[in-house]
Amino acid sequence: MTGIQLILISGFLLALLFFFIRWRNNIADVLLFTVLSSTAIIFILYPEWTNVIAHKLGVGRGADLVFYLCILIFSFVILKLYARIRKLEQMLTDLVRKESLHKKQADQQST
Amino acid sequence: MSTTNDHTANVHVIVPAYNETPMLRSVVEAILAKGYTVVVVDDGSLIDQSACLTDLTVHFLKHEINLGQGAALQTGTAFALLNKANFIVHFDADGQHSAEDISALLTPLFQKKAEIVFGSRFLSKPLAIPKRRVRLLRLARYINFFFTGILLTDAHNGLRALTATSAKKICITENRMAHASEILFLVKKHNLSFTEVPVHISYTDYSKQKGQSAWNSIRIFFDLLLHKLFE
Repeated sequence: MTGIQLILISGFLLALLFFFIRWRNNIADVLLFTVLSSTAIIFILYPEWTNVIAHKLGVGRGADLVFYLCILIFSFVILKLYARIRKLEQMLTDLVRKESLHKKQADQQST
Repeated sequence: MSTTNDHTANVHVIVPAYNETPMLRSVVEAILAKGYTVVVVDDGSLIDQSACLTDLTVHFLKHEINLGQGAALQTGTAFALLNKANFIVHFDADGQHSAEDISALLTPLFQKKAEIVFGSRFLSKPLAIPKRRVRLLRLARYINFFFTGILLTDAHNGLRALTATSAKKICITENRMAHASEILFLVKKHNLSFTEVPVHISYTDYSKQKGQSAWNSIRIFFDLLLHKLFE
């Protein structure tokens, strides 16, 4: 096993461990994360397997294929995060608005 | 309900204010002098803005945190509707709008010729509008047209007037400056009749400094893009 394999595998195992510790009964998330990590670890141990898949898809190197897929996944994740931020912002706005209106009404009643 | 006087009593002018103390009082006084009800929405200012308004009869609302002008306008509108306003006017606190223009904005609403009236600085006689501002606004105008299909002469003018019924339909969710375009989306969506009225904008050093920078317009553009994406 080479150094980089060791670093990557221990990184993934740590992330997995962290995920299990914080496990809050969402079984689908845990399963998804376990499957993704194990695929990652398999490809780290046998990097030449990515080459086979890459060639079938018309990409020269396995590393390139992984890189392209990462870009795709990350853009998707960023979009999802943006959507969630907007939703949170909307909730925060509603809360602040409600609070300011309540306060105003309370002021009006007291005078 | 039919005479203009009754209408005047039910006009709520919403003034969103964020750290505007130097100008706020004179702006509010000018509107009060015209006999309108004033709703000041303090958008989480760091300074206590209510202190300079204590002796004036205004409705003062405060956001606990800074959310943006769009959010402040919506809060003011929500309050005005609770307070049974018939007409709602949006008015900037930085002193660039003139209280004289409010009655002109309201006239088409009184005459039932429109449900929402936009102020336009380009319909009035050419005043000293900074060149860069003109170019930026011209660009914004076409971007708005691209997104909404409505081509106004002045894309981002903060002075507008609505009837209570149209204000109920125009629910602003864009907290920051993209609300000006969002209002156009909603006008289009609900098929509201609209018109433009010439208004006077004074560019003081203070309002220029508080106003939109060119960089900000890029942010507005992205807010709009995201708004369309996640609709």
